[in-house]
Amino acid sequence: MEWIGLANYAVFMAIFICIYALLSLGLNIQWGFTGLFNAGIAGFFAVGAYTSAVLTSPAAEGRLGGFDLPVPIGWIGAMVAAALIAWPIGKICLRFRSDYLAIATIGVAEIIRLVIKSEDWLTNSARGITDIPRPFGDLPYVYSQLAYLAIVASVLFVAYLMVERQIAAPWGRMMRAIRDNEDAARAMGKDVPFRRLEAFIFGSALMGLGGALFAHFNRTITPEAIDPMIATFLVWIMLILGGSGNNRGAILGVAVVWIIWSMSEIVTDQLPHEYAVKAKYMRVFLIGLMLQLVLRFRPEGLLPEPQGTRAEMSEKSK
Amino acid sequence: MGALEIINFYLVPGIVIGSIYALGAVGITLVFSILRYAHLAHGDLATLGAFLALGAVTLGGVSPYVALPVAMVLTAAAAVMIDKAFYAYLRERPKIVTVMASLGVALMVRAIVQVVWGVDSETYTRGIVRPDVWFGIRLRDRELITIFAMIGLVLALHVFLQQSKWGKAMRAMSDNPDLALLSGVDNKKVVMLTWIIVGGLCAAAGVFLGLNYELKAMMGWTMLLPMFAAAILGGVGRVEGAVLGGLIVGIAEEMSTLFLPTEYKAATAFAILLLMLLVRPTGLLKGKVL
Amino acid sequence: MSDILVMRDLVGGYGDANVLQGVSMRAAKAEIVVIVGPNGAGKSTAMKAIFGLLKVRGGSITVDGTEITGWEPNRIVEAGVCYVPQVSNVFREMTVHENLEMGAFLRTGDLSAAYDRVYTLFPDLKERRKALAGNLSGGQRQMVAMGRALMLEPKLLLLDEPTAGLSPRYMEQIFQICRDVRDTGVTIVLVEQHAKQALAFADRGYVLAAGANRHEGTGADLLADRDVADMFLGG
Repeated sequence: MEWIGLANYAVFMAIFICIYALLSLGLNIQWGFTGLFNAGIAGFFAVGAYTSAVLTSPAAEGRLGGFDLPVPIGWIGAMVAAALIAWPIGKICLRFRSDYLAIATIGVAEIIRLVIKSEDWLTNSARGITDIPRPFGDLPYVYSQLAYLAIVASVLFVAYLMVERQIAAPWGRMMRAIRDNEDAARAMGKDVPFRRLEAFIFGSALMGLGGALFAHFNRTITPEAIDPMIATFLVWIMLILGGSGNNRGAILGVAVVWIIWSMSEIVTDQLPHEYAVKAKYMRVFLIGLMLQLVLRFRPEGLLPEPQGTRAEMSEKSK
Repeated sequence: MGALEIINFYLVPGIVIGSIYALGAVGITLVFSILRYAHLAHGDLATLGAFLALGAVTLGGVSPYVALPVAMVLTAAAAVMIDKAFYAYLRERPKIVTVMASLGVALMVRAIVQVVWGVDSETYTRGIVRPDVWFGIRLRDRELITIFAMIGLVLALHVFLQQSKWGKAMRAMSDNPDLALLSGVDNKKVVMLTWIIVGGLCAAAGVFLGLNYELKAMMGWTMLLPMFAAAILGGVGRVEGAVLGGLIVGIAEEMSTLFLPTEYKAATAFAILLLMLLVRPTGLLKGKVL
Repeated sequence: MSDILVMRDLVGGYGDANVLQGVSMRAAKAEIVVIVGPNGAGKSTAMKAIFGLLKVRGGSITVDGTEITGWEPNRIVEAGVCYVPQVSNVFREMTVHENLEMGAFLRTGDLSAAYDRVYTLFPDLKERRKALAGNLSGGQRQMVAMGRALMLEPKLLLLDEPTAGLSPRYMEQIFQICRDVRDTGVTIVLVEQHAKQALAFADRGYVLAAGANRHEGTGADLLADRDVADMFLGG
């Protein structure tokens, strides 16, 4: 492979890293700053991908839309749709410990998967949605890739700045206070379930946006495009390894994990077919093991949450 | 549609799958109330149990009913080892960290099953079993055995929890952990005992699922939601509630196909779960809310 | 006279703060010692310190001649110390009898004498032995809690505000039971809010303030003390 091929691959990877970084930032709002366990990341991702696809693709036979709307409208729609799904789930579950949210988000991701797979009129089921417009998609391949990278990187940058600002603001301090000592925050008159709901909805909207960016990058979206368990889990290990509670850590973790994940795929693809299938599952096993090792030996991640914002979380254990 | 058809095509399958859910939900409710976290690897532990039994069937040439106790013992051992390797050192941290670890364990266990047994569907025995007809009600042997095995296992667990010293210690730990420690109960032993019981029940759920349907690497994961719905419906910490919840969820899922496309069976469990959290989070039998 | 409990210059607390700033006390065999003091004086904290439930940074605790400072609670139970917390001190979803069984968890052999003893002390409980502890009245629950602790036949019984929230009738009953238990040779240390009644019934008392000893003496002496009276009784 010559260097042009390598450079192309690097750009491709960078685009994926930016998309996953949006998911990781979204999870950081939920888990890192608020302590909410979302095990259905892939569900919110898929909702965003399909919403934007339906809104922006040209009219098609036999399914809803497409409405041929401008791409930014599709992205906003993706965020709104993901937020609308998050709202009732959060409303019901956030009164309880996060275990219940974990179960409910697994459920909601499963239902979303079923709807996407079986509702022809909405998602064209197994055939998926094609002809999703891609900004600057008419340029020659390399320029088009670079242009899209510039777009996702800018979106990520804006999202990062917004999250950072929000976290530094009184809102962020309050969220951390709730995370670290719920009872005290409640005693100070904070509406804990409502604040958590805000964080859950914001985070889910970012995941929806990540899904939309993915769909426009691929130009198509099908139910098989993403393995829900692996996608959700990859984002988790990215955030935990990078450093939950630290936005830069969240992004660093994405880069590290995505590079390891892709490189290991290149290695296993060289194997003969009968081993290649097994090797795929070995990779999954190792990524699971990696989470256990991080939890055990470096729970604060590569870039820990800045000192002073983190009261000892273990004090909260029940 | 006549009453007999409803019984044969909806109620009986509902009770069978409900019994399987019940076996899993009892384990979930024990972990939830004694160890105090939602164990997300529960379904995949059941998958492991089912495939371990398949290993015994193919290697040892025994019937699945002989393989069942073997799988229960092996899965119990696996559960104890998983706890020691991945959960034990998180005990002092917030419980939600263990929930996260269990999500990782779910993935790891499933990956092992996929590496060892591949990704194709398997069965314990080949060929079609014709049901016997009792007064118009059609029942296969394996269905009867599933239901009675569930009842037998749950009764044995009930007697253990009510009568034995360590069973009482488990209940005490669920009821008031601080006071149990003040009374001299060794938490480590209770944790280990819980995993032995839970691992065995998981394997039973997996084997009976494989026996009545088929064995797939994803079989346990797809059971996770109905099992949790059953445990919460019955009331967390209530063994008899988990059985009741399992049967209700199983029957509701089968009945739902009367009104909904079959694909949405899983949505029934989810709806039950959300409804209970909304109107009665303590469940039907007044369990705990963590 | 042999001392069952000796606490010397105890310093400690939760987290980084030291609630106890040098507390000393002792309790002889078959003696009732009461700890009183204003809110935040460290009464319950001193008791939890004996039971190894908080960080001790200085001083020592000896039970029947053995130093137990820094031991794990279950070893302290084995050493013959039982502790009855102020709240959630019963297994609510277990029967009265099962609560007593849990109290005797570490004991082996024939327990019928121990059950007889507890049921003789608490006749109410014998009647309701099959009832769930969570369904009992507050006073009866307190009896279950004490009965659970006594099943181990401890040398030293620690009671954290056993009469909190109880009616005067139950308070008197609990005090009477404490005397009966003492007369079987058990040392009792209890923390009390009702200073006046508690000092009147105890053999000796300690008054704590701001995490340190303020006064000590027999119940009667303390009741007669001007300063003590100002702290609780006159005001």
